[in-house]
Amino acid sequence: MIEAQELSRRYGTFTAVDRISFSVEEGAIVGILGPNWAGKTTTIRMITGFLPPTGGRVTVAGRDLFVEPRRARRDIGYLPENVALYPEMRVREYLAYRGRLEGLKRAAAKKAVAETIERAMLADVADQIIGTLSKGYRQRVGLAAAILHRPRVLVLDEPTVGLDPKQIVSIRELIRDLGRNATLLLSTHILPEVELLCDRVLVIDRGQIVADGTTRELHERWVGRRGLRVAVRPDGATPEAVAACLGGLPGVAKLQQVQTPYAELAVFRLEVDAGSDPREAVFRCTVQNGWVLYELAEERGSLEDVFVQLTTRDETATSLDGIAIAEPAAAPGEGDAGEPAAESDGEEPS
Amino acid sequence: MSALWATFLRELRAYFVSPLAYVVLFFLLILDGVVFSLITTYLADPRQPAGRPFDYFFGGFPFWIIVLFAVPVITMRLLAEERKSGSIEVLMTAPISEGQVVAGKFLAALAFWIVLWLPTVLYAVILEVYGELDWGTLGAGYLGILLLGAFFLAIGIMASALTRNQIVAAVAAFSLSLLVFFVGFLTGLVDQPGLQELTGYLSVIDHMDELRRGIVDTRRLVYYLTGTFFFLFVAARALEDRKWR
Repeated sequence: MIEAQELSRRYGTFTAVDRISFSVEEGAIVGILGPNWAGKTTTIRMITGFLPPTGGRVTVAGRDLFVEPRRARRDIGYLPENVALYPEMRVREYLAYRGRLEGLKRAAAKKAVAETIERAMLADVADQIIGTLSKGYRQRVGLAAAILHRPRVLVLDEPTVGLDPKQIVSIRELIRDLGRNATLLLSTHILPEVELLCDRVLVIDRGQIVADGTTRELHERWVGRRGLRVAVRPDGATPEAVAACLGGLPGVAKLQQVQTPYAELAVFRLEVDAGSDPREAVFRCTVQNGWVLYELAEERGSLEDVFVQLTTRDETATSLDGIAIAEPAAAPGEGDAGEPAAESDGEEPS
Repeated sequence: MSALWATFLRELRAYFVSPLAYVVLFFLLILDGVVFSLITTYLADPRQPAGRPFDYFFGGFPFWIIVLFAVPVITMRLLAEERKSGSIEVLMTAPISEGQVVAGKFLAALAFWIVLWLPTVLYAVILEVYGELDWGTLGAGYLGILLLGAFFLAIGIMASALTRNQIVAAVAAFSLSLLVFFVGFLTGLVDQPGLQELTGYLSVIDHMDELRRGIVDTRRLVYYLTGTFFFLFVAARALEDRKWR
């Protein structure tokens, strides 16, 4: 449904997006994940046809956005990062305007507005002036406007940023509901959001895709060693005895005691060898010793870990490069020792 | 077409829900009223030569002040605000071209311009009641107002398309309008016949002078219309540039 080939965007000498290629199949919910300044918004702006790429091409529903812009844009519903509405308009009025802008006839626009108000649960504020709405409601209005013309592809840039937890939950519900009827591309820097909403994740850092796969694939690929959390009530035995028993089990690579407020419990974090599952052994070990097993939980490496792993790996690589480049330059003039540091700081966002 | 119409309606409505429209309308009406009563008092004096009030009304110093000051205020918001708030992103990812956006906004500004001058038709009605009035000449004068408005509004929209700051847009529009306005004065200063002809042709004052006297010359129409289209074209091209962020 979305096809990006070698998509690049440079601003002067700064490359925001560097030859990104990916495709999104119809009906998928794909998350674009990345830290701030990674190139998420630039990528999204090229997909929606707002920003012409400096290299490569992008098609949505088979149409190039810069060859047949008017037709291709019809298939896309877009919620930009800073949901910019016209504050002086009323919600219903604004939605009708957006419908007309998308080329709907007057009657069709009116019908679409009524349906969308229902769907986005905006009935309470439909006749309010947008400027008086809370951020959560404004986000809803933006979303409603994006889905008004029933686009085949829905692109949302940071849809939950700046909302309070309650609003986030309700926006996420709405997004999940919308994902049933359209291909959805969603950018975020909040990991649980991706895990919650998306089938597939593209991790972008410094303008490049550093990982692409389903959330499960990313787990399996990048979080090799899983951990277990074990809490035992030793009943007379010392925590050391428990540690000795657990640490000797097959498949346990490392054991670490965890401090908790409950003095009667011995809590451990176990690192597990890839491919083995010592949970049964842990259970039997405690039972045989007459201890009580309070907790045995798989510590799933979260996407957060994947993400940190992916982006920091990259960071060390670039900063190493930075040192290699900076050193010869710093050598002749000892005085400006601060400069290489400032230089690599400047390179940080790229 | 429906997208252009939607933009036009939205912009026009935006004028009338903002206080700005009423401030401009209020002061313009006061100024118009004062100027017109001064003109009629002056002409009513038997020692003064006979003249037509609208001849003075559409050409004097106060008239140009109104045109040069009011237009940048009308246009400054149009595109600069879209850039500043980011709503341009929504606009330019909708199935509407840059040209249509500019055209919709221009037509809305022009409609507002017409609303600004509409009350002055009352003066004509008063004159008709108490004396006689050449409606043909007056029509040409109003045609001049329309063309002149379109011309300067196009300059204002171009300025608004080039920046995200409304104040910058207003100042740029005002400066550029003033520049165009003063070209006409150069006619008396240059001595080369070719240059004289050129500055004469570029002089908006001369064009308006003819129209208010009731002379509708196609050269004048072509001047205003090409100018209008040129500035609107530049505005549309400026809108294509998205490197602003």
